[in-house]
Amino acid sequence: MQAPLVGVVLLWSASVKLFTRRGRLRSQTTALSKLLGEQRAALAYRGLGGIEALLGLALLTPPLWWPKPAAVIVMAIGFAGYLTYARIHAPESSCGCMSATHVPISWRGYSRAGWLLAAGILGLFANQFWFTALTGEPVVLAAVMVGEAVLFIALSPEFDGAWLVPLRRLRVAVTDPLGGDNDSIPLDATVTRLHHSDLYRHVAPALRTDVHEHWDEDEYRFITYGAEYDGSKATAVFAVPLRSDAPEPIRVALVNEETGETLIQLDHAPEEAETPEWALSRGSTPAGSTVG
Amino acid sequence: MAKSFDRRRLLTGAALGAAGVVTGSAFGSFAPEAALAAEPTPGIDPGMPDPNFAEGLIRSISDDTISALGSDGTLWRVRVTSGTSVWKLKPTTFDNVAVGDGMYARGAVLDDGTIAADSVWANIVNLKAHVTSIGEQKLYLDHNDERVIAHVIPGTTAAVYNGTPAISDVSMVKVDSHVQVLGAWLPGTNEIEISTIYAAA
Repeated sequence: MQAPLVGVVLLWSASVKLFTRRGRLRSQTTALSKLLGEQRAALAYRGLGGIEALLGLALLTPPLWWPKPAAVIVMAIGFAGYLTYARIHAPESSCGCMSATHVPISWRGYSRAGWLLAAGILGLFANQFWFTALTGEPVVLAAVMVGEAVLFIALSPEFDGAWLVPLRRLRVAVTDPLGGDNDSIPLDATVTRLHHSDLYRHVAPALRTDVHEHWDEDEYRFITYGAEYDGSKATAVFAVPLRSDAPEPIRVALVNEETGETLIQLDHAPEEAETPEWALSRGSTPAGSTVG
Repeated sequence: MAKSFDRRRLLTGAALGAAGVVTGSAFGSFAPEAALAAEPTPGIDPGMPDPNFAEGLIRSISDDTISALGSDGTLWRVRVTSGTSVWKLKPTTFDNVAVGDGMYARGAVLDDGTIAADSVWANIVNLKAHVTSIGEQKLYLDHNDERVIAHVIPGTTAAVYNGTPAISDVSMVKVDSHVQVLGAWLPGTNEIEISTIYAAA
């Protein structure tokens, strides 16, 4: 009774290998190209498709003949062996089994080969051509076929987009496992805003560390960095308004923590026009890179 | 604690300054370029390792010095001071760094080969991955065919959708979508904690 299902699966698999325009390209991402070399992979890929097509057609048509399920068994063992080879020697490749999607090799691939194997073995014991059997006991056999088809689809990553992903999305929609907005403003938001400010770009050449410390106070988030000013260590402390639409500007101070004195304090980056001539002509640094 | 409070008050006051103060003219120049861009960083030849950067698995920590084994076999000694910034999922303090953590450090090489660290990042990872499923405060990711479990840490994890400013709401991440995750690896596992997740929404 497995014959029609296996036949359809093989025909579908063959059509992907034989008739998709990208078949040749596809073959090179599968483990075949590692096994046989890139030149021969395409030929082997198509050849395999041809064998699958012939076997699929043979299974769908009479007469009942034992070499047909035997060939399915051989193929199933071959697939499992190929999966094992690929997993060991080309773990990054796609199994190239039955569709054009990239599918990593996993237990599902093996289960599917096992399914094929079981179908082949059962096929050996068949004593009636499937169409005859189906007309004899339509309800029971149709139910068995549907059950097996469901199992096959469940084992095939190629179909995940049709049922597994929507199911998972539905579960997420119903249970909301990640919770919602907890009203806090992530540090990342403040730091990104700071990085985009002219003031930060102006001061950045003096900064030596990543974010050292941060705390919130009075609608401001304070972020400190280790800095160097005139050859000695200093702390750069930025005050960034928490609300992004706040009218207050971002401010910065460079503080020498040992003496407690404020070395410099700014609430905006100086415009280029404000940069004195002596600062521009000093050294080879172009004004643009330091003034930002 | 009191010291830390005083320090913060000092820094807070310095940053906000007196009303109307625009620049620190009391100390001479109001243009900090001269002092800020004091010495240009010497360039590094292409392909050469950055001499001021260290990376490795932490083997031991004694007082203020980390010993780490680099992925190329180099043994690093990294000195951490109170001025060193430490990152482990978020800006934190040195006592949260543990043996077994992966360490990245940047600083200045001293004469004895020790690196005096300006910044230390522990277990930082940056993954481009595929979301295969979403569970209770965690995402199941496929990263180069490897399963990675990424935990959402409420209050720390930030989400950036389509490049807009980060928010704390991670729930717009969809199953079967691509994301980039900046986070901290949990040593010895295939799990990470998410610092920032970048996604399309």
